[in-house]
Amino acid sequence: MKRRDFLKILGVGGVGTGLGYFFGKASKPPAAELIPYLNPPVDVIPGVANWYPSLCTQCSAGCGIHVRVMEGRAKKIEGNPLHPINKGKLCARGQASLQALYNPDRIKKPLKRRGNRGKGDFEEITWEEGISILSKNLISLSEKGEADQLYLLTSQIRGSLNNLLNSFMVSYGSPNYLQYELFQNKNLLHASQVTMGVNAIPHYDIANTKYLLSFGADFSSTWVSPVSYSYAYGQMRQGEDGIRGKLVQIEPRLSLTGANADEWVPAKPGTEGVLALAIAYAIVEDGYYKGPDAASWKALLSGYSPKDAAVVTEVAEGRIREIAKEFGQTRPSLAIGGENLARYENGMSGLVAVNILNHLAGNIGVRGGVIPNSNGSRTIDFKNNIAALAEAASASKVKTLLVYDTNPVFTTPKAMKTEESLRNIPFIASFSSFMDETTAMADLILPAHTSLEDWGDDFADPSVGYPVATLMQPAVSPFFNTMGIGDIILSLAKGVGGKVKDKMQWNGFSDYLKDAWKENYSKDKDMLASALTFDEFWNQLLTRGGWWPDEKAKVKAVSVSPKGIEAHISKVSSRFEGDEKGFPLYLTTYAHSSHLDGRGANLPWLQEMPDPMTSVVWGNWIEVNPTTASSLGIKEGETVTVESPFGKINAHVYLYPGIRPDTVSMPIGQGHRAYGRYAKDTGSNPIEILPFKEDPETREIALNSTRVRISRTTASEKMVKIEGSTKELGRNIVQTISPEEFKRMNKEVS
Amino acid sequence: MAGFLERITERLNIYREPGWYKKFDHKWTMVIDLDKCNGCGACVLACYAENNIPVVGKEDCDKSRAFSWLRIERYVEGEYPDVKVKFIPVMCQHCGKAPCETGCPVYATYHNQDGLNVQVYNRCVGTFTCATYCPYDVRRFNWRTYKFEQPLDNQLNPDVTVREMGVMEKCTFCIQRIRVAKDKAKDEGREVQDGEIQPACVQSCPTGAMTFGDLQDPSSKVAKLAKSPRRYRLLEELNTDPSVIYLKRVMNDGAGTHEE
Amino acid sequence: MKKFILYIIIGAATFIMGYTINNMYSPDLSPVQPIPFSHKIHAGTNKIPCMYCHIYAENSRHAGVPNVKRCMGCHSIIRTDSPLIQTLTSYWEKKEPIPWVKVYNLPDHVYFPHKRHVKAGVPCQRCHGDVANMDRITRQAVSFGIPYARVSPLKMGWCLECHKNEAQKYIGTPVKNGTDCWTCHN
Repeated sequence: MKRRDFLKILGVGGVGTGLGYFFGKASKPPAAELIPYLNPPVDVIPGVANWYPSLCTQCSAGCGIHVRVMEGRAKKIEGNPLHPINKGKLCARGQASLQALYNPDRIKKPLKRRGNRGKGDFEEITWEEGISILSKNLISLSEKGEADQLYLLTSQIRGSLNNLLNSFMVSYGSPNYLQYELFQNKNLLHASQVTMGVNAIPHYDIANTKYLLSFGADFSSTWVSPVSYSYAYGQMRQGEDGIRGKLVQIEPRLSLTGANADEWVPAKPGTEGVLALAIAYAIVEDGYYKGPDAASWKALLSGYSPKDAAVVTEVAEGRIREIAKEFGQTRPSLAIGGENLARYENGMSGLVAVNILNHLAGNIGVRGGVIPNSNGSRTIDFKNNIAALAEAASASKVKTLLVYDTNPVFTTPKAMKTEESLRNIPFIASFSSFMDETTAMADLILPAHTSLEDWGDDFADPSVGYPVATLMQPAVSPFFNTMGIGDIILSLAKGVGGKVKDKMQWNGFSDYLKDAWKENYSKDKDMLASALTFDEFWNQLLTRGGWWPDEKAKVKAVSVSPKGIEAHISKVSSRFEGDEKGFPLYLTTYAHSSHLDGRGANLPWLQEMPDPMTSVVWGNWIEVNPTTASSLGIKEGETVTVESPFGKINAHVYLYPGIRPDTVSMPIGQGHRAYGRYAKDTGSNPIEILPFKEDPETREIALNSTRVRISRTTASEKMVKIEGSTKELGRNIVQTISPEEFKRMNKEVS
Repeated sequence: MAGFLERITERLNIYREPGWYKKFDHKWTMVIDLDKCNGCGACVLACYAENNIPVVGKEDCDKSRAFSWLRIERYVEGEYPDVKVKFIPVMCQHCGKAPCETGCPVYATYHNQDGLNVQVYNRCVGTFTCATYCPYDVRRFNWRTYKFEQPLDNQLNPDVTVREMGVMEKCTFCIQRIRVAKDKAKDEGREVQDGEIQPACVQSCPTGAMTFGDLQDPSSKVAKLAKSPRRYRLLEELNTDPSVIYLKRVMNDGAGTHEE
Repeated sequence: MKKFILYIIIGAATFIMGYTINNMYSPDLSPVQPIPFSHKIHAGTNKIPCMYCHIYAENSRHAGVPNVKRCMGCHSIIRTDSPLIQTLTSYWEKKEPIPWVKVYNLPDHVYFPHKRHVKAGVPCQRCHGDVANMDRITRQAVSFGIPYARVSPLKMGWCLECHKNEAQKYIGTPVKNGTDCWTCHN
């Protein structure tokens, strides 16, 4: 027995020791390697961050950013505190653009089409091959005398890259350089040109205004320059002078900005322009306009008395007059016309009406009103737009198309037949970083850098009353085998040879940029007055993030005359396609606050961000008024078919009390068919079912231009919402005080 | 002997009342002006980027496992056309008398001398008691070890731990930024200045609704804002002594003014 | 029953013994490096200061190991006939960084800033041991050829000892917020 016990004890002891030893081993961190630098970069200390100022390109506002880089990897994007447009703040989209740099679905090297077009079969090639293929195509086109059948389509690029692309096209011999984005603000620009004679979007001084009348402008989330306007909104509400500005929002569907407004005026879709003119009429009639030409204004606006307008717009006459009174009497006030108003088929005339309002209330050229921007030099050829390209392509007048940073197959209605017309083009080359719908139709893909890896500059439009130039510099080395877009064009110029090569001798885009800035520096007296040599000046540009004058430009007054405007004002409210009986609901579409026109759909952070008004994630929806839904027997989360005279799509229903019962609304941005793993299966694209309708003057595509009908289908996928209940249930979570009490409180404190 | 007994009883006494720190080194406070907040959500995304918060995907969002440490709550009252919408950003309130701190059986969460509610990831065993006790529902649990798809993991912030399955996490008032600012101040031989520390949400808020600072510093912005007559704290009646102060929104919501 | 308890006790005791053996005598405490770099020659005999090679220690949370260029700075001329130096040179020519094995390996959930400790005046030898007399870096102390104790156990208790008591020597007070979890574990 003793020996048995002894052996048992030995066994237990051995097992115990072994277990203890290996437990000790397992509880230590795993063996790690320590890899040193071979040749350490001078400006990198591991563990300490470097900050590089650059430019955000997620929308056309042109905010300045700071990129936090640790050991050569970009970690976070924040606003540049010195930049006058965004003052150190940045919206969700700008911050998420970091995921575009490190996205798993990026095109990593040049690709050439192998199978049939649109099938997605590409083979990898080298840069030399890619540039040579494209150069050969361009050379043969030029030799055949068809140089004018080369088209270049990009997003709304400003600054030196714009100039480079222009020089390239001009020296090649093609007049066809088009810029197309869904939210290009062409209507807003033209309305400013026509009424105020300025060639740039004016600066809306929201920070200092005391009565903001917004016609469907969602400036907190997507309109024109959301960070700048949000900052100004904060100042308007709780600025240092203690007087709180009032916001009145006029739109058929409550947007994010509308949710923060003091009053919501749900005018009938398409009639906001008429409403603006009625308010203008009331301002003149009730004597708030003090100008000498009141009589001619009254004559011009005679068809728009509040009484008539009340019938058309479904807004009570008394309310119209009250708004006119407050708007006309509060100094300063400001009226802005947003995307909802601008994208009717007569949207531009609505915006002209808004400018008229501003003039009548004396807001133009004053602090807290509309400040014309002095650096306006943006001329857009309205005739040469995406529809013209589609037409030319269908008529086989386009032999080669170069596409950069835009996705027309996704952002144009199916009725425009963009995809079919693209199929008619013999050769399409794309410089895109991602395989989106348009890139999938290309024959050659030469992927360009993302904005964090590239050089560039931008002149902000709208600016803040004085010119602001921002510089974009590479914050990280190129992560994949891509080239900067400027460098691609310069290599192409060398490959094409001849006149083009002679005119574009630079070795790289950074040289071009520096030369362009040398010229700016030698011509601008403010820059020269800084008393720096050009090299010091360039360094300052790179460390500050751009150039803006220290002394602010003077605001010059601009007046609007009733003569000549009459042609631009529409006589009727906007028309919607589809008869009322068959298609009983108006469809309004709007930019999704995370995805804008669809460009953010491949970024997982943005997909997971709950929509501010509905909290839906990873999907799309259609907003329906609860009364309408119950009359149609539809419950929340059900899938319905949304049908217009031009097509049909499916969408989940979200019961939204902030929308008129005769209107439904869908956000734009989801519903990609290609664009990576994060953009797949995320709903449907409402642009598909829109008609091909354009504003008669600017030819901007009308997004709010059709009626629809909705019907139930068998539900398949689920709509995922983050919110639980939207009721406070007496818990006093968001506490409020009334405006009167706030005024009283302020008087006591001050 | 008497001294020894004194020390013991003192120790026992202070455990009677949670949040016993009478003297803080700093008292980090955030003031959120609800009249400026427009619900845009830039703060939520900044928090995701700064704190290595994983994206969980559609399925898990459906199971209410969305991960944001900071959320924007939205309340919609009324029917068309009198619809009133209110936004409020809610993150860990860093309560002075935090219910969560009392519940943790392994002391993974407690209050430190900076006035912050500390969550220690390597000590947490995932009993979920703290999340159950929190009245603000700000604690998030790692139901899985979430994968960061390559090469998106290049973006991860090296100053913040990447959490594994089974660990509770929540807003930390960007302790990594507080630490960097204190480090810099120590290098330069001075105190931390007001405005030097900005958590990611405060730094990105476009309207400037959020302000962060040391309540004990009388010259700081938060100390001045905290004296505003519009101040209130969330669910104040629960006596949790939160470090986040909200300023009432100015609106006619038909329900009259709310008394504190 | 009594035997069962006896087995449990023996099992527990030997478990603890095994754990301690691993802590004190495991081969990870002194791993073999790709090049047998000797700190005794460099830091001891030639008295090269620590920060000449470990350049980031005063500015960052990581001290790092010297980059290959720093080695080549001297060894492109000095002792080029030795086969070990020729191995070093081959790494430089191949443009390959040397894959050192980490000895002072703290787990990922610890935030240890070298900068703060160096600036507080803590000498490198306090935590890393008498490096100037080590041929191969080891976390053990050796006496008469037999390893007998841990120099740097790298356990939390060991860090706290200094934070609470020994810091008096270097900065005059115990470390401010030295025992706050978030100081090291965020």
